[in-house]
Amino acid sequence: MELSYKNIAPFLSAGQNKASRWLSYIGLGVGVLLLLSSIQMYHNINHLIRDKNTRKNGADFISITKTITNENMGKDNRFTDTDINDLKTQPFIDDAAPLKANAFKVNAGAGDMIPFSTDIFVEAINTNFIDTVPESFHWIEGDPIVPVIFSTDFLEMYNVFAPSWDLPQLSEKTATSLQIFLRCSGQKGERQYKARIVAFSDRINSVLVPESFLEKQNKELEEEVNAKASRVFIKTKDANNPDLLNYLVQKNYHVNKDKTKFGRVKGVLQSIVSGLAGFGVLVILLALVLFSFYLQLLIAKSKDNLQLLLTLGYSPKWLSKTVAKKWIPVYITIIICTVLLTQLLHWGFQHFLMPAREELSFFIDWTVIVIAVLLLILSVAINYRLVKKSLHKL
Amino acid sequence: MQISLQQVVPVFFETGKADGSQLWNQTISFNKGENIHIIAPSGSGKTSFIHFLYGLRKDYFGKILYDNNDIKTFDVEKFSIWRQQNISIIFQDLRLFTQQTVWQNLEIKRLLSPYHKESKITAMAKRLGIESKLEKLCNTCSYGEQQRIAIIRALQQPFDFLLLDEPFSHLDESNRQKAMQLMEDEAAERNASIILTDLKKIDYFKSERILYL
Repeated sequence: MELSYKNIAPFLSAGQNKASRWLSYIGLGVGVLLLLSSIQMYHNINHLIRDKNTRKNGADFISITKTITNENMGKDNRFTDTDINDLKTQPFIDDAAPLKANAFKVNAGAGDMIPFSTDIFVEAINTNFIDTVPESFHWIEGDPIVPVIFSTDFLEMYNVFAPSWDLPQLSEKTATSLQIFLRCSGQKGERQYKARIVAFSDRINSVLVPESFLEKQNKELEEEVNAKASRVFIKTKDANNPDLLNYLVQKNYHVNKDKTKFGRVKGVLQSIVSGLAGFGVLVILLALVLFSFYLQLLIAKSKDNLQLLLTLGYSPKWLSKTVAKKWIPVYITIIICTVLLTQLLHWGFQHFLMPAREELSFFIDWTVIVIAVLLLILSVAINYRLVKKSLHKL
Repeated sequence: MQISLQQVVPVFFETGKADGSQLWNQTISFNKGENIHIIAPSGSGKTSFIHFLYGLRKDYFGKILYDNNDIKTFDVEKFSIWRQQNISIIFQDLRLFTQQTVWQNLEIKRLLSPYHKESKITAMAKRLGIESKLEKLCNTCSYGEQQRIAIIRALQQPFDFLLLDEPFSHLDESNRQKAMQLMEDEAAERNASIILTDLKKIDYFKSERILYL
């Protein structure tokens, strides 16, 4: 028969202090459950909010303008090159690009198809800042068609008022097939172009034309062009970075809050679950400390017997391992139960709170399992070290 | 296995106390297979000597070697290997688990490095007259009975040396002889040595060497 904990159990006062032992088990269970559920919730929030965000290639694109107040009304509130260069040098801003505007007048109409024409503005920006850039979005002199990227919000707005003006409502597909007539006029003359919507942008609320087109018209239709922009787009890794927000407030820049709304909500929710996870870690630590007191008391109370076992030839290494191993099944049970409970909570969240959200996986995230296994290893290792240390002190 | 002593003197000995001793401050070796009888009056350091040999205390000058290994360099882990396989002991103060049964006291030693089968415990207990005590709590046994329990416990493992520190102090003559015979039989079976310390010479202990401490 091989030696096991069962053989040495009668020599240890293991039956005592049941209350503190059970309290530490419960504490560990609650702490681990809090931590695992928080991690799972963190992933859920990430999944649920991802699609609504303005992120692209891991970056947020935000439009900023100078805040218009009663004090600065009437002044030139556009961005200078210095302003843009200052933005680019900030560590929390990856890049910045101005939205260049037209200095000439633009009138757009759809010919006989839709008897409607209006003065509009057109803008141009570095294509790296546009979320949807088809290959056809370029223009050189002589090209018969000017490609346009249209804001989805503008199309929505058109479809709202179109019926009351007896105009047809347009789908995105129909809108892209429409031929648009642009009449550009300035101090130096007037030009007419045909244009076509080649894409829609969720990110930029504007009528975008290729930079080459805008620059040419500005130059050739107007006497003097002030190239300063009213709007600048910035590219940042985190739109919720407090340094960025402080910088914008300090500079009196206005942020398009709508675009960062989900990011902000996400930030708040993630802070809450991070707080919960931190609390979980605290509870786990307390439970482990409580259990370590229990173990130390057990060893102190069994000191004479343990000393005699060592004198008789029992190896301290074997004793530490055997005593520590005794609680492995208990820890495994606690961890398995908490993983199952986390799965149950995740299922409840999915079915009762977010029934229509298919982007959530049925199973808990793999990181939750990894953390659970790491916690198991950590608890067993801490116990082993503690028992070994206490035995060596005897 | 060989145990060697190189000028071993307890640190607490006054100057000159070790003079005339055949063990203290001497270079001497004990070889496996030979029985050594150490005779010493009270206070001459018998128990200290046995504890030094077993590695329980290190407060001595000189060196004690197990097969040329200085035992002062051993940690508890290394001692545990020697104590499981090569060296067994019967303490003068017995050192039993008093809150456990006699059987548990014997079995916990046998399980560590089993030399005998379980049934041998009963046979030995019967031979020394404590068979009826096996299921009793140790602290309900008389000191003489406890001394026999300690003897049987020491014989449950393999050993090259069996250290005995006044093992019969509370036994009558008949029980002393029975216990001695049992230990000699067990040592012979293992071709092991017995190192026995006592106040006076024990006639029925067949020793190759008698040394005065």
